[in-house]
Amino acid sequence: MSSFTYIAPMTVEETLSILHKQGPMARVAAGCTNIMPEIVSKKITEGVLVDISGLDELRGIDVVDNKITVGALTTINQLIHSEVIEHRATVLWQACRQFADPLVRNRATLCGNVAKASPAADGVVPLLALEATVNVESLRTGKRELPIEEFLMGPGKTALKPDELILSVSFQAAQELLGFFIKFGLRKAMAISLINIAVVFELTGKTITQPRIALGSVAPTALRARQTEAFLRGREITPEVLSQAAELVKGEISPIGDLRASGEYRLHLAGVLLRRAIEAAMA
Amino acid sequence: MEIKQEVVIRVKVNGSEVNATVSPEESLLEFLRDRVGSYDVKCGCKQGDCGTCTVVLAGQAVKSCLVLAAQADHKEIWTLKGLENDQLMQELQNSFAKHGAVQCGFCTPGMLVTAKSFLEDQPNPSRGQIKAALSGNLCRCTGYKKIVDAVSAVVVSRAGGCV
Repeated sequence: MSSFTYIAPMTVEETLSILHKQGPMARVAAGCTNIMPEIVSKKITEGVLVDISGLDELRGIDVVDNKITVGALTTINQLIHSEVIEHRATVLWQACRQFADPLVRNRATLCGNVAKASPAADGVVPLLALEATVNVESLRTGKRELPIEEFLMGPGKTALKPDELILSVSFQAAQELLGFFIKFGLRKAMAISLINIAVVFELTGKTITQPRIALGSVAPTALRARQTEAFLRGREITPEVLSQAAELVKGEISPIGDLRASGEYRLHLAGVLLRRAIEAAMA
Repeated sequence: MEIKQEVVIRVKVNGSEVNATVSPEESLLEFLRDRVGSYDVKCGCKQGDCGTCTVVLAGQAVKSCLVLAAQADHKEIWTLKGLENDQLMQELQNSFAKHGAVQCGFCTPGMLVTAKSFLEDQPNPSRGQIKAALSGNLCRCTGYKKIVDAVSAVVVSRAGGCV
């Protein structure tokens, strides 16, 4: 007999009451691109598989005023085909186009990528740069809107409570801002990033304002490089300023060495990619 | 709404209706091979890396090891075998043979299903787009060139050019 059980709620309300009853035993499954390998490798050996793929209310991309909301069941492929994402959240669109591979993108959801909280997650880094909010709900505490920086707590760890469901992520449209995402992997598809970086900023003449720099695979969670942002704010972009920023960013990350790259190499890479990302965004 | 120990599903595989009782964590890949007998769906890595288990589920090419069998309930699935009489698939198969795009052959079913699904959406892709479309399917024999050549040749021939 399997040590898993299965339930497929049809509404958010039903889902919340299942999560309320099952607590940590519940395993929410949508696109399943995270959970299936975890079941096969026995990282997960029991639980109630709560299949939310029938919750149509969590599908799609909404724009209200200037705020874009991506429902929990929206796949990476749907984001790639969205004109809203392409033109008003280009940094996220670029990341989606480099996410895993086309077959996985047909199933994987952006919110699943957020929930998994991999330090290298290609979907999370642009959301950090867009200052996204993760919208969650439970029967016990109702709806909460968590800034993504607070949502991410460690490798695979998030602020999501066992009875909470991610409903969506939302962020302000960024069509007025420049942005660029770079994934540096050992191959072009199905690669876990050695480092990924997203930059979003406003340019007045040659002066950078409101810089937001997010990096993945350089610390226990993907993070914002606040000191480097502060250094760049109000500065004119010159080769010297970019070299200084590239040095500075190394001081606020703590990459580990693993089978993909050494920590030293990742430090070096962070500086190089920061410069490249800013230059590419301005090009 | 109850929590189930087993899930009864009804799916259409290659046009035929299949009723089955699956375990909660059973993958679509396991279901197709072990219960339906679709051995044309190959089992490579079981973790979404290799693409050799690719099938068309509800109109989209997916890695069947990354789908719960229970999620296929009331959906239509096409595997390579069910697509054999399809005109585009036959052109792809002939082109694979002609260009030496099959060596050991293990990746071929997944490659063909991915290629067909891609060309239906995008009938006139560039070589780069073909490479990107096949990037989720691993081949350890051919070095990919012959596979990309084979798909490109179908595109050219469909556009009325010479292969």
